[in-house]
Amino acid sequence: MKASVVSPERTLYEGDVSSVVAPAFDGEIGILPRHAPLVTLLGRGVLRLEGAGGGTRRFDVAGGFLQVADDIVRVVTETASALA
Amino acid sequence: MAKGRELKGRIRSFENTRKITRTMEMVATSKMKRAQDRVVAARPYAAALREVIGSLYSPELAARFPLLRQPATVRRAAVLLLTSNRGQAGAFNSNLIREARGLVDRLERSGTAVELHVVGRKGVGYFRYIGRAMASSRTDLTDRPTTRDATDLVTGVMDAFVRGALDAVYVVYARFVSALATPPTTDRILPVEPPARPGGRTTGRQHDYLLLPSAEAILEELLPAYVRNAVYRALVETAAAEQGARRTAMKAATDNANEVINTLRRQFNRARQAQITQEIAEIVGGAAALGG
Repeated sequence: MKASVVSPERTLYEGDVSSVVAPAFDGEIGILPRHAPLVTLLGRGVLRLEGAGGGTRRFDVAGGFLQVADDIVRVVTETASALA
Repeated sequence: MAKGRELKGRIRSFENTRKITRTMEMVATSKMKRAQDRVVAARPYAAALREVIGSLYSPELAARFPLLRQPATVRRAAVLLLTSNRGQAGAFNSNLIREARGLVDRLERSGTAVELHVVGRKGVGYFRYIGRAMASSRTDLTDRPTTRDATDLVTGVMDAFVRGALDAVYVVYARFVSALATPPTTDRILPVEPPARPGGRTTGRQHDYLLLPSAEAILEELLPAYVRNAVYRALVETAAAEQGARRTAMKAATDNANEVINTLRRQFNRARQAQITQEIAEIVGGAAALGG
């Protein structure tokens, strides 16, 4: 499945992933391929994207939402920054 | 050859001016490209926000959100005018100011009290000059506006709108259509006009989203973000448009300088030729007199 991390100023990530773990408003939520369509508010915490070819990317996010539709995960937030 | 020397001086002066305008043109071109990239980079976020709000919004929910409140009569409105801090951009700022004045006049004629918020030294200078009070003015925004700038600008009026102290909020900015077209534009950002459902409301191809915690809670969070984003986009578009307008203005100035220099050179050469002709005539005349 595809995932992207989008802030008002730019797209921080776009690519194929095997799983997404996001800090939802009420705790972490994990998304695997073929997840049902979903929109959830995000809280503050670390967003983890497992790359399809291995390798994990981490982002610090606060607020915004995560949307899943047609095997595409979009994390849309006003505050996001890449973590090493 | 007094006239020749004077022409030479003028040619040199125009050449110096041309050097400056050509440099400014090049600087504006490169700044515009970077600003244009920021306009493009801002699109995915805006599109995602629009899509989700559009698919969650339903008219039944409208009454519950203060930001969607449609007042029957607009008694108090705020106009947020974006201008640049620097000139040398042709009619860029005067177009924006004219657009804002037209809007303010229209609103005031229909009995609406208008408070004016102005960004950019050019707009602030103008309204200070004509003696019109501004509710707020800012001249500290850079060429690269941030989401923080947008948030700072809009939070006050958004709170006032929610409290009921304002019935409408407009933003006047320069839309970046292309490097050559940067028309002054007025958008009403409050009350929020809910975006249309993606794909139109008749098609049944709607995702049946699982909503956490609820459509209401999500809209509650996203509607203010949508308003902030509208202002952010207006800021980046205006920044790009400013550089585009400056590039056009400086290119015109460079072309004009070229033309003037050509004319002056022609005059200079004609004067020089006339002088040589005259000197030859004098020599020939002198020789003829001697040989007489």
